Amino acid sequence: MSVSTVATHIEPFGVRVVPAALGLAILMVSARWAPVLGFWWAMGLGMGFAIQRARLCFAASFRDLFVNGRGELMRAVLLGLIVATTAFAALMARMVPDPSTGELVPKIHVWPLGANVLVGGLLFGLGMVLAGGCVSGTLWRIGEGYVGSLVALGGILLGLEAAAFSWNWWWENSMSTAPRIWLPHTLGYMGAWISVLAALAMLYLLTYWWEARRAGPEIPVPGRPQPPLVTFQDRLRALWNRLFVQAWPASAAAVALALLNVTAFAFDHPLGVTGELSAWSSRTFGLLGLYPNHLEGLDQFSGCNLVDAPPGLLTNTFMLDVGLVFGAFAASVMASEFKIRLPRRPVRYLQSAVGGTVMGYGAGIALGCTIGAFFSAIPSLGLNGWLFGLGLLGGAFVGSRIIRRLA
Amino acid sequence: MELDVRGEICPYPMMRTVNALEKLPPSEALEVLTDHPPALTTIPWEASKRGYAVDVEKVRSGEWKLTLRKAQGPLDPLAVMQEISQKVDMGG
Repeated sequence: MSVSTVATHIEPFGVRVVPAALGLAILMVSARWAPVLGFWWAMGLGMGFAIQRARLCFAASFRDLFVNGRGELMRAVLLGLIVATTAFAALMARMVPDPSTGELVPKIHVWPLGANVLVGGLLFGLGMVLAGGCVSGTLWRIGEGYVGSLVALGGILLGLEAAAFSWNWWWENSMSTAPRIWLPHTLGYMGAWISVLAALAMLYLLTYWWEARRAGPEIPVPGRPQPPLVTFQDRLRALWNRLFVQAWPASAAAVALALLNVTAFAFDHPLGVTGELSAWSSRTFGLLGLYPNHLEGLDQFSGCNLVDAPPGLLTNTFMLDVGLVFGAFAASVMASEFKIRLPRRPVRYLQSAVGGTVMGYGAGIALGCTIGAFFSAIPSLGLNGWLFGLGLLGGAFVGSRIIRRLA
Repeated sequence: MELDVRGEICPYPMMRTVNALEKLPPSEALEVLTDHPPALTTIPWEASKRGYAVDVEKVRSGEWKLTLRKAQGPLDPLAVMQEISQKVDMGG
């Protein structure tokens, strides 16, 4: 198979860069007229791009542990958490120098440590494995052309609406009474940072132990053989291929995602994609005349919580979520991987719909998804991110048992 | 033997390939058609663990054909993965 025969199978270069150019053009325009919207658009593009290039799937990072015993993706996620935790701790120490007073850093993802977080995590973990992707995973797969993910998105919106209808019950019985446990409050920033890093490092090593027991022999994947680089042009082409054509290692995307999260937090608030979807859900079901009662206690949260009355359409979170889809779309077209993919087995549509609904409900009551309630919550140094992660693990275990039967 | 797993997402391309390998007569090759990029790493990994050499070819944008053959003699997994990563690169 020579390079020339391959080249006939992919679109010309000029076509492959069109979506990326369009994404950047939108960034330029918004940078001029609405720089804050532009910032969140850039965050979304970056997330979608990095995650698509590495296929950094949070659902798979949990599921693979049980399906084939592999821990590679989980280690990438843990590495991202180590990076984000370190930078978050430094930023928080600057914002609130004395954490012992009980004052929380504004907008961090430290939420009440209640049963809602564990139950939400379990449901989310189960749903994401059934649907084949978490909430952000559903968004970037839509960008790659997966029709099943569109079905899952419909399920997520339905689940979020169901969560809104039961929100007040969860508020009264779990969220309003549960304590917010923020580690720096008792341990100080340095103590909290060291504790969390030690825990993450332990888990990192634990995945190797798990893999040795469960996955069988690990076959090392060698570095990619490179053609000889002679001219400047050769070197540029190699760089281009590394960035835009070849798959990135999962760890590279996880670190990129962590850096985007730190940037977002330094700018205003940590990343989270669920709050916006809740606005979509509330709008969609509002058209059908379905309005939940007033949601109690919403002023106690920021970020990924459900919304009461959806704000205008063109919000920061809208730019982030749509940017995520668009970034993944641009990345997949650039690598010649975009395709409209239709599941052929009817059961897959059912899996996506049911998985999406269960996951959406879980995200609604746990105040976020794998990004907001986990990837942003653990670096916020609250315990809620850990409880949600435990739920994800349990849910993924059950989910991987179920999907095995549907092969 | 042919296995069309287009439209399937993780972990099904890998799972169904493993199931098909269990039914595959030793002299035959298994051709797997997939449009799920992550399957380009999950299938070769499971296949080489079971002693199958893997060849990959890009069919069109977002679609690949993997050919799995029982390796003659002991398989050098390193060489298999090297070959695959090179070919996947070429096809994007």
